[in-house]
Amino acid sequence: MRLSRREFLKLVATMGATAFVMNHKAEIVKALEEVKDYWHICWLNGASCTGCTISFAQAADPDIIEILTGITVGNSKLPIALPDYMETIHPASGWLAEHLKERWKRGSKGKRILIVEGAIQKPGYCMIGGKDFREHVKEAAEYADHIIAFGACACFGGIPSSRPNPSGAMGLQEFLKEIGRYDLAEKVVNIPCCPGHPDHLIITLTSVMLGIELELDEHNRPRIFFGKNMHYALCPYRPHYDMGIFTTKPGEEGCRYKFGCKGPEVRTDCALRKWNNHVSYCVQVGAPCIGCAEPGFPDRFLPFYVPVTNERPFFRLDPIDLGIISVGAVTAGIVRKKIKKNGGDQL
Amino acid sequence: MKVVVDPVTRIEGHLRIEMDLKEITTDTGKLYIVGEARSAGMLFRGFEIFLKGKDPRDAFFFTQRICGVCPAAHAEASNQALDIAFNAVPVPPAATLIRNIIQCAYYIYDHMIHTYLLVGPELGILCKHPPMIPPVLGKDGMTKLGLGSSYAKCIEIQRKANEIIALWGGKFPHHACGYPGGVTVKPTSERISGTVVRAVEIWEFIAKTMIRDIQAIIQASETVGEKISEILGIDVRGLEDIGVGTGYFLSYGMLPDPENYDDWLKIAYGEKGRRTSAVIHAGAWDGNFKDFDLNKIQEFVKYSWYSDEYSGKKPNEEETIPLMSKPGAYSWIKAPRYDGKVYEVGPLARMINTFGLKWRIPRVHPITGEDLGDFVYEVRNPKGSVLDRVVARVANTLICANKLIEYAKMLVEYKDSSICNYKDVPDEGEGFGLYEAPRGALLHYLKIKNKVIERYQCVVPSTWNLSPRDDMGQPGPVETSLQCGTTWLPTMDVPSVCSAIWGKDYGDLLRRALTPLGLAELNMEPVNGRKFNTTIALLIVRSFDPCIACAVHLIER
Repeated sequence: MRLSRREFLKLVATMGATAFVMNHKAEIVKALEEVKDYWHICWLNGASCTGCTISFAQAADPDIIEILTGITVGNSKLPIALPDYMETIHPASGWLAEHLKERWKRGSKGKRILIVEGAIQKPGYCMIGGKDFREHVKEAAEYADHIIAFGACACFGGIPSSRPNPSGAMGLQEFLKEIGRYDLAEKVVNIPCCPGHPDHLIITLTSVMLGIELELDEHNRPRIFFGKNMHYALCPYRPHYDMGIFTTKPGEEGCRYKFGCKGPEVRTDCALRKWNNHVSYCVQVGAPCIGCAEPGFPDRFLPFYVPVTNERPFFRLDPIDLGIISVGAVTAGIVRKKIKKNGGDQL
Repeated sequence: MKVVVDPVTRIEGHLRIEMDLKEITTDTGKLYIVGEARSAGMLFRGFEIFLKGKDPRDAFFFTQRICGVCPAAHAEASNQALDIAFNAVPVPPAATLIRNIIQCAYYIYDHMIHTYLLVGPELGILCKHPPMIPPVLGKDGMTKLGLGSSYAKCIEIQRKANEIIALWGGKFPHHACGYPGGVTVKPTSERISGTVVRAVEIWEFIAKTMIRDIQAIIQASETVGEKISEILGIDVRGLEDIGVGTGYFLSYGMLPDPENYDDWLKIAYGEKGRRTSAVIHAGAWDGNFKDFDLNKIQEFVKYSWYSDEYSGKKPNEEETIPLMSKPGAYSWIKAPRYDGKVYEVGPLARMINTFGLKWRIPRVHPITGEDLGDFVYEVRNPKGSVLDRVVARVANTLICANKLIEYAKMLVEYKDSSICNYKDVPDEGEGFGLYEAPRGALLHYLKIKNKVIERYQCVVPSTWNLSPRDDMGQPGPVETSLQCGTTWLPTMDVPSVCSAIWGKDYGDLLRRALTPLGLAELNMEPVNGRKFNTTIALLIVRSFDPCIACAVHLIER
């Protein structure tokens, strides 16, 4: 069976991405083989823990080796998407690594993908090749035809941005807006979770290569992964909630709500897709969902073991935070206007 | 003249290495080696600052995010500090078994990734062992030349190991099942059998393929040594004379005995000891087995971007104030020392502190009982070297593969027993978590006041290994290894060096493989119009498995 672009999109939409990836591995590989040009990937790590790279290495269908080596373009023998730059696994180091990044910039127009892992910080906290990471990101974003923020840190700041945010960590979109590049910020596709899920990235990459636009939500997250509420729409422990059976201590069976589960405030498909070749996910091992798919993680969901309705952090905000929030709201307003002016969709 | 490698890739995080070029003259002519070397961590995030004031139980989740390559080790060290601070010890045997299973699976993934994906490419290329050379010629090269067969298989097997962590912990990286006093996950038959099925396949890869690969490297190392000696006119036996360390080795021990948890706890309360009931022992080897003593750890900051005020303090006493413009400093990494001396941590330190200088690890198939013969190794260089470090990592992996199945079988008897010694969050408390991360000795310290974290601190393995000079001027372990006198910086490129060692055919093959990928000048660093080959230097740095996200963090009062 050979999939056309339209069929691919239709299948992803109707089957849900999980089932699609599990059942159509061969078709994804074929679809990728049809792509005629060599894709150029630049994978940058900023204030990251490299967990997203490791998570990407857990991809099973197709696995990372197939993606990086097996799927070659035409007769070129070149892998379809060998990263031109990827600090954690790339053969090159030092001067050559930086040089290959330049080669990425010269890649054919429309085929340059930038993946960012980790947060962007205030100047001076992350230096690579003698240059601030902020500069690396800014330059790469200028050239990139497609920009993907992979993992909670790159999307929304994540763990290093937790209060008092000592290094001024922020997500990619926020950074691009801070330097006045609303046009670039608008291009970013956010794939959160801590770490990012390999399936989410592979499906997004596939859709980019096939020229399929994924529908995004108000936080620029693809709706096919982040469109449903974990608690209301997907949780297998929901019947326990309805019957009033709750876990309050380790070892007790029941809904994890009273154990701090943030499911009711989180939109992600963890309960359906699960992790590591679809084996399990946080709630299944008796732990609470800590809300890593949402903006505001982690502070919005702390303490992790306290239920969402009790002592919501929002009510503990001090005046400085309220100030930041109103500034944020104004900024968001400006952004929306700007984008409308440019004829883009809503943010 | 100075050679700078920045960024050092195929490690975790952002590392910069600076090496002064030293010209020496031997029988064969003039050549360049590394004189002085400096290693510098280039990313700072500030974990201990934002842990302050949070619910102590959140530390389990937060500290894993220090590093996504070794999150499970931080999880365990944090959990053990919490167990003690909550007075929730001893941990029930079922919980210890589950934690041990997670740690074994996680070590297997981590050591395998490092052996094949991170340090492996240079080893494979230099030692002409095709299964460890990355699959640079794609599928074709893999089937015709066997290029990258183990490299590719490693990706599949590490994924299976991580599936075991996900069975118990929900996902990897960043698992979710830890809780002060135990775990949240129950030992069901489904999880136990899911573990065993995967563990057998993993065991076979390690006991057969991985051991075969490392034996090939050990053997090839002799040829590499002979040829390098000929070319350089200096005496090098092999990779055991490259990257020679300090000879001091520190370990905190790993995989506690579930039935003897009290012995495990002693050193965390400040008693001297070696945790001999555990699979891997604690200790401070200095040529002989020595008891570990928590009170002998100090951290120095003369050459780090922090205020000198608290330099030389113990982990639970010190405070750290970042000073980005401090003159003379060159790294975000601090310099921890044990008894004032430079100790190396990591797999080699674990093996030596447990077994001494000669190791014998059984290879009996866990299901069929077939005996593949013990894996025996005698440490080639008691000061530590590239070869000894990579062999120790493989030996450690085999131990974990053996133990993984054993623990899963043991757990069957604990199916209905308690998984958590549950305690409410205390008003006050403190505790040390001392565990081994794959990269070496890992310390977490936590102090609770008014039910929230008052102080949190980690002293992590890469801080030990990648540390800059200390206040006494002693270089860190990686710096010592780089300037040990045999770090050759050839002006020939990688294929030419390989031609010189293994013949022209092999060099040509490498050139054909690397050129279309834009990698013909792999590891060549330009200095004043000339280029120097940093392959050996990088091999030394990577033999320590650096993890910079871990190495850099900060404490605040």
